[in-house]
Amino acid sequence: MKKYLVPIIIVLLVVASLKWGVGVNNMLIEKRGNARVQWANVESSYQRRADLIPNLVATVKGYANHEKETLEAVIKARAEATKPEITIEKGAITPENMAQFQQAQQGLSGALSRLLVSVERYPELKADRSFLELQSQLEGTENRINVERNKFNTLAGNYNIIIEKIPTNVIANLRNFNEMPLFKSEKGSEIAPKVAF
Amino acid sequence: MFRQGYILGFFLCCISFSLAAQYKIPEVPKVQTSIYDYYNLLSATEQTNLEQKLIRYSDSTSTQIVVVIIDSTKGELINYLGARWGEEWNIGQENKNNGILILLAKTDKKITISTGYGVEHLLTDAMSRRIIERDIIPYFKQNNYYGGLNRGTDAIFEVMLGAYKGSRISKQSEFPFEVAIFLFLIFLIFLIAISKNRRNGGPGGGSKNTLSDIIDVIILSNSGRGAYRRSSGGFGGRSSSGGGFSSGGFGGGFGGGSFGGGGASGGW
Repeated sequence: MKKYLVPIIIVLLVVASLKWGVGVNNMLIEKRGNARVQWANVESSYQRRADLIPNLVATVKGYANHEKETLEAVIKARAEATKPEITIEKGAITPENMAQFQQAQQGLSGALSRLLVSVERYPELKADRSFLELQSQLEGTENRINVERNKFNTLAGNYNIIIEKIPTNVIANLRNFNEMPLFKSEKGSEIAPKVAF
Repeated sequence: MFRQGYILGFFLCCISFSLAAQYKIPEVPKVQTSIYDYYNLLSATEQTNLEQKLIRYSDSTSTQIVVVIIDSTKGELINYLGARWGEEWNIGQENKNNGILILLAKTDKKITISTGYGVEHLLTDAMSRRIIERDIIPYFKQNNYYGGLNRGTDAIFEVMLGAYKGSRISKQSEFPFEVAIFLFLIFLIFLIAISKNRRNGGPGGGSKNTLSDIIDVIILSNSGRGAYRRSSGGFGGRSSSGGGFSSGGFGGGFGGGSFGGGGASGGW
C-alpha cells in the first residue's frame, strides 16, 4: 500500500491541476470572447457614423457651397476611417491596430466637428428638416460610440486584470492570452464633437 | 516590459475616467416602478397618475418606460448619463431590450430620452428629438412639467404602437392553477362534510343539522380564505416587487434590458 501512496498522490495532483488549468483556460476564452464581441459593437457604431456622412455631406452641399474645403476634408477623413486596413479583424486587437483605428476615427471626428461649426453660418441649412434629423442622428451616434467604447474598456480592462493575476497568469502565459489595448482618451476626445442646436 | 505597459495602461485608464465627470447613479431601487423623482418636482397626484399610466403600459406591452428627475448631471453629458443609467438599472426586458429612460435634469434645464437596443428602430434619435422639441419642451417652458412628461410619454406610446406585446411578468400565471386545486379540495371536503352530516343526523334533528351545516360552511370558507391569503403572501414574497397588483411598480421589476446610447436630448 505504501508503495502506491506517492504515485497516487502525484496522479491526483496532476489531474487536479489539469482540471484547474482547463477551467481557467475556458474562463479566459470566455472573457476574451466577450471583449471581442464588444469590439465588434464599437466598430459597428463607428460604421454607423460613417454611413451617415454621405447624407450629411449631400445636405450641407445644397446650402453651403462655400464650404467646399471643409466638406472635402470630411469626405477624405471618412474614406480614411473606412479603409479596410483600418478595421480590426476578430483576433487582432493589438496596440498598433488600435492606435491606427483610433487615429483614423479621430481624424473623422475632427473634420466633422469643423463642418458642424461652419454650418453655424447658414441659418437656412440649420432650419432644414432633413439636416435637423441628420444632426440628431449624428448626435445619437456619437453617444452610441461613447457607450460602446466604454463597455469595451470595461470588458477588456477586466480581462487584462485577470490575465495578470496570480495564479491565472500562469495559464495566460502558457496559452498566449495577451493584454488587450484599451481606448485611451486623448486630449479633448471625451467631449463628443459639438453638435450645435 | 509587459508590466510597464500594464501600469501605463492602468494610469491612462484612470485619467480617462477622472477626466469625464461622472454622475453617481443611485443603486437599483428595491421597489422598481416607473418614476423616480429625486428632485420632488411633481406633486403626489401627478406622480401617481404618471406612474400608473406607465405601469399599465408596461403591463400590456412589456415595454418599460422610466422617468427619472434629478437636480443636475454634475457636468456629465445628459445623453451619456441616460444611457449609463438605463444600462445600470437594466430597464426593459432582457431579450427584448425594450427599456426607455426619460431623464430630466431640472437645474440644467435638460431632458433626454434614452432608448434600449430593442427600441432604437422605432423610437429613433430623430424621433426622440422631435418628441422632446414638439411635445415636451413647450409645456416645460410654461413650467408645466407634468404636462410635458404626460404628453411626451403619450407620444412615445404612439411611436411604439404595436411593437411589443406582453403580459405582466410575475408568477401570476401559476397562481390560478394552485388556487383552483385548493378550491376544488375545499369543495370536496365540503361535500363530504355535508353527506356525513346527512347520514349522522336522524329524522327530527333537521334544524340542528342546518345550523351545523352553516357553521361548517363558515368555518371552512374562513379557513379556506385564510390559506388563500397565506399562499398569496408567499407569492408576494417571491416576486421582487412586493406582489402588489396595482401599485407595486413593474411586475417582475426591471427586466435586464440593455442600452446602447440611442436617443436624443434637448434643453429649454
